[in-house]
Amino acid sequence: MAELLEEIDVTEEDSQKDKFLTFSLGKEFYGVEIIYVTEIIGIQPITEVPELPVYIKGIINLRGKIIPVMDVRLRFKKEANDYNDRTCIIVIDVKEISIGLIVDAVSDVLDISSQDIVPPPDVNVNSHNRFIKGIGKVGNDVKLLLDCEKLISDDDAQSLTNI
Amino acid sequence: MSDISKEPMLEMYKFETTQLLEQLEQILIRSEKSNCYSPEAINEVFRIMHTIKGSSAMMIFNGISTLAHSIEDLFYYLREFKPSDVDYEKLTDLVLNCADFMKDELGKIENGVEPDGNPEELVNLIKVFLSGIKQKDNKSIDSKELTREKSANPSDEDKQKYYISYNLNNSSKPHYKATIFFEDGCEMENIRAFSIIHALNDIADEIHSEPSDIIENENSAEIIKREGIKIYFSSDSEYDIIFKLLNDAIFLKKLELDELKDIEEMQNVKQKKTIDLDDKPIIPESSRLHEKEHTNKSFQQNIISVNLQKLDKLMDLVGELVISEAMVTSNPDLKGLNLDNFNKAANQLKKITGELQDIVMSIRMVPLSATFQKMNRIVRDMCKKLNKDVELEIIGEETEVDKNIIENISDPLMHLIRNAIDHGIETVEERTLKGKNPKGKVTLEAKNEGGEVIILVKDDGKGLNKEKILKKAIDNGLVQDNGKEISDREIFSMIFLPGFSTKESVTEFSGRGVGMDVVSNNIEKVGGVVNVDSVTDAGTTMTIKIPLTLAIIDGMNIRVGDSTFTIPIISIKESFRIKEDELITDPDGNEMIMVRGDCYPILRIHKKFNISDSIHNIHEGITIMVESEMNTVCLFADELLGEQQVVVKALPQYIKKVKGITGCTLLGEGTISLILDIAGLVKSNYK
Amino acid sequence: MSKVLIVDDAAFMRTSLKLMLERNGFTVVGEAENGSVAIQKYGELSPDIVTMDITMPLLDGIEATKKIREIDPKAVIIIVSAMGQEAWVKDAVLAGAKNFIVKPFKEDHVLKVLNSI
Repeated sequence: MAELLEEIDVTEEDSQKDKFLTFSLGKEFYGVEIIYVTEIIGIQPITEVPELPVYIKGIINLRGKIIPVMDVRLRFKKEANDYNDRTCIIVIDVKEISIGLIVDAVSDVLDISSQDIVPPPDVNVNSHNRFIKGIGKVGNDVKLLLDCEKLISDDDAQSLTNI
Repeated sequence: MSDISKEPMLEMYKFETTQLLEQLEQILIRSEKSNCYSPEAINEVFRIMHTIKGSSAMMIFNGISTLAHSIEDLFYYLREFKPSDVDYEKLTDLVLNCADFMKDELGKIENGVEPDGNPEELVNLIKVFLSGIKQKDNKSIDSKELTREKSANPSDEDKQKYYISYNLNNSSKPHYKATIFFEDGCEMENIRAFSIIHALNDIADEIHSEPSDIIENENSAEIIKREGIKIYFSSDSEYDIIFKLLNDAIFLKKLELDELKDIEEMQNVKQKKTIDLDDKPIIPESSRLHEKEHTNKSFQQNIISVNLQKLDKLMDLVGELVISEAMVTSNPDLKGLNLDNFNKAANQLKKITGELQDIVMSIRMVPLSATFQKMNRIVRDMCKKLNKDVELEIIGEETEVDKNIIENISDPLMHLIRNAIDHGIETVEERTLKGKNPKGKVTLEAKNEGGEVIILVKDDGKGLNKEKILKKAIDNGLVQDNGKEISDREIFSMIFLPGFSTKESVTEFSGRGVGMDVVSNNIEKVGGVVNVDSVTDAGTTMTIKIPLTLAIIDGMNIRVGDSTFTIPIISIKESFRIKEDELITDPDGNEMIMVRGDCYPILRIHKKFNISDSIHNIHEGITIMVESEMNTVCLFADELLGEQQVVVKALPQYIKKVKGITGCTLLGEGTISLILDIAGLVKSNYK
Repeated sequence: MSKVLIVDDAAFMRTSLKLMLERNGFTVVGEAENGSVAIQKYGELSPDIVTMDITMPLLDGIEATKKIREIDPKAVIIIVSAMGQEAWVKDAVLAGAKNFIVKPFKEDHVLKVLNSI
């Protein structure tokens, strides 16, 4: 019985494993592992909170739950874009923290198996490349795969309080 | 115990044991005060220790269990033998120390650390204490000695109540011999044997056993474990029936049942001893006090303990229900429609959600009594150490406050009481010289006042030394000596400034490396304030004002630009519009306003929080005067949106702390409003 | 599926026993924190088995066992006792208790005793 359960677990995980939700920021396409994603919502009224870094736009009311939202463009030091009806908030759960990621537009869920993923070029650790876990090849396209844990990692969370 | 999943039980264990220890402390202190331990008190301590022993053993917290066991033994002796001439003060000290040990261990458990304390020393102290009592009380012990105290001297047969109860000659029935072994580790083998003999009694006569003194002799369990028990009896019943009856007993390892042809073997045994099944209970009746006087206990059956997280969740849901209700009933789609029936139904809904909210709030309310009663211990210990004589008077302990608040005010209260006794109350000699009652008095009082709870910590000691406080504050650079007149209250409140302590030598109790600023910080954390009043040689009164609850507050919503903020009504003094020419600006650009002869700083929220698109002209917006502790600030906002009860929510963990904001709340339309931290804003402005 | 009434003044003990029993297919129909409540609940719930602590406030387990057996001579009462209470367990057996469990109890012991009923 226990063995059976294990098997089911494995297949469950398998079904989630190589799947990535892809989204666009300007011309680039990014991917985020589907296991982190809890939902995708349209842009919402955001309540600004003082003293936060620019890329944290504020907080939103997600059916009674208050979660912070991060503008991924600003996180990557890209220039800000006005939000429109294609703008989406991807809600992810990482290490028990719920956070919304504001992206230009959401595209598909894709299977990218590990042999199609290459590590990012080894550049300066402080560069914004550090949020990229790997580069996925899908046909002729390239998707930058996000490291969700780094994206909301502690050093940044700490810097929030120090500002 | 490995087969019981420990985790869900751990919470319960901690909760119950903590409660029992609190109860224990109260009994001990009450008893010590009256300098006698009533039979009820002794029985109660026995019971508490018995329970702690049991549950700690279940959780494999052996240190606590062992210690509880030895206290149980001690109180067992006190209960059964009622020794005279017990040093109750020493007893109280001893048991309180044990309680402290257990609390420490619980603390370790709370912090996820293995409770590794060694109770050996305390166990030995208890043993020594117990044997001390026994020696003093040895006049009649021998005759009273019970199974528990294993001095059952085999030669004192006349004292034991065995007698042959069955007629030897009336034995035409077949005789049997049963030999029974129990499973290893089944415990209390002697009682198991006794149960079998008891069950056998229905169908058999002339029952004898080997060993025979199975209840009275503690070693019998050991013997039975090793050698099994042999039971001799006569019976009319068929072999199979007897066998089945015996075999039905559980934990049997081996059963042999033989019919005896030769009754001599039986006779021999019978010469020795017969089990007296009709034996009166050995335990004196007094040991099982019925405690009818404790009638309040019967309320307990109507009380259940609930996980606080569930309660918080319920609270959240009710909060959201209130919001959704508002979203439905004041939905913009309904504008301009004639909705008589809808409105009627909506009113009913409003009434019910309102009641629901009240009930949920009331569930969270807990009386202060447990917190207040804990202070008895503090007073007792301090009086002993400092050689002072202080009485603690407790008033209004039934006053209820929110559960969260209880957790946060226990430490500050302890600190204030320590302080009152250490620095406030004089020594007996000093008090006598001053013509005061040599016995000092500390009063701890709670009462409801409006939406607030007031807690007073009052002492009749020497009062605060104004000059000394002021000098110290100036020396330490905490205030400027600008010759400006400072009110007494302001001087007294300086003791709450960080890094302030008037006493040069930090004593063991009130010192502890933390100052009074910790007290005021803790109280502020729960939205409360603390004020000081003092009269030389008459005493000092600390007044703590705290809101009834933290979870729902009366708020005033204000708008600044596109943002909405909520100010707790409790901090608002008044609001008004300022004309441009009333505004005073100092050379640094700080703005101020004179109101009724006093000058107050103005804090523009849009500046503080960097909000664009807001009103800048002072006469177009609104100014709200808010107060925290002694200081007042005027906040400038665009407009007042109105008063509303709001459910306080924490900001997401990820954002952590933002200066000037304590949390957030959802408004009717589902928008988020940030709740201003008035104390923080006022403080930052005065720095 | 036996119905069990758990009597103990310690909520901790009640809950650990309850979890253990429910895990093993027993139905815990009620809990009582002293002897008098136990008697009352026995009447209301008519359980198949009562597990009875000895030291309890108001009315101890031995008295409660006696009273319940007066009301219902067929009542099945299992004493839950700690080591060192042999004399009381004996009294309880005399008062009509069917069997006993020793605290801290082990799951297999408990089941053995309860399943023997």
